[in-house]
Amino acid sequence: MKKASTNKSTTFSDGLKEGKINKCRRIRGWLHEALRSHFSLNADWVQNHIANCPKCQRRFSSVSRVNLALSLIKSQPHKLDLLMRANTQAIGVLKHSLREAPKAQKLKAMQPEPKLLEICSIHKHSAANVAACIAILFLMKTGIFSFTDTVQTQGQKAVKQYYINQVGEDLASDIFHG
Amino acid sequence: MFGQAVTYGRVLEFAISETIDKSQQWILSAMQRHGPELVTMLWRILGNEQDVCDAYQNTFLQLAHYQNRQKPKHIKAYIFRTASNVAVSMLRHRIAERERLSITIVPKKLISSPANEFDSKCLQETLRCCIARLPEYLRNVITLRDLAELSYTQIGRMLGISAATARVYRCKAIQLLSVWMSKKEREIQ
Repeated sequence: MKKASTNKSTTFSDGLKEGKINKCRRIRGWLHEALRSHFSLNADWVQNHIANCPKCQRRFSSVSRVNLALSLIKSQPHKLDLLMRANTQAIGVLKHSLREAPKAQKLKAMQPEPKLLEICSIHKHSAANVAACIAILFLMKTGIFSFTDTVQTQGQKAVKQYYINQVGEDLASDIFHG
Repeated sequence: MFGQAVTYGRVLEFAISETIDKSQQWILSAMQRHGPELVTMLWRILGNEQDVCDAYQNTFLQLAHYQNRQKPKHIKAYIFRTASNVAVSMLRHRIAERERLSITIVPKKLISSPANEFDSKCLQETLRCCIARLPEYLRNVITLRDLAELSYTQIGRMLGISAATARVYRCKAIQLLSVWMSKKEREIQ
């Protein structure tokens, strides 16, 4: 009896805990949302303040200059054979057995290759379009078949009802169920 | 008897050297796996192809001689941090050399449009100089995040800090860089 009551109390306390956790999660979500809407760079009061504050404007422009410089550095291309040359130079100072390894020969002729994700990202839009088309076709097909089934069953029911009304239930059941 | 002992000794020596060589094959694997990313990062830090090759060579040489030719626990972290340190010391050396020769690397007018190649190069050089001046903990984050394009989680794992701390460090680094860069601009004007 005692055991049952303790079990009940534990489940009750667990439920309370879960409820609290869920409540916490919800409150955290609201807080996050509220903070984001009030304190993000796109908030109206922030935009208005920046438009009228020369100090903030200066800060903003200097940060954007750093970002511009970073993106300029990133966009600067190097020669395609740089990896090959770097590998050759690095392998040249390693010990003889490593220099002569077949992998080393491969590395000496290695060229930078785009990652699988980068390759896939080129075909991302077309893949999404194909997937969307397939999904639409599938939905259409399912919809059409279910619609035909519904029409068939409804039709059968209507005809059966008609026969029941006209010739009686026994004869109608004989006709429809053989 | 003595001759036989010498022969056994030689065979043993050869076998040991073979096992070390075999174990050091991981250097080539590391080169194959992380080489492209490393070259990209070095290129972005240094902006000079010969310097990139030198820094790359230095990094793998250090890797090959790491603690009695042992394999580091986290190779990627070791390689990236070593390469970044090597590149930054080369950058500092280059800056010092330029200052010694009293060649101003920053022109009289800072960038007006990204289309102007000369100005954009100067902007890049100014940023590189400022990055080299950053304290190590901030510099590591900015090089790994912005120049090596690693995620905050990876950076955290590499530097032994949390991803949130890495985020904060990057923010601080950007603030510091922006202050220094605008100061330089004002000095020029």
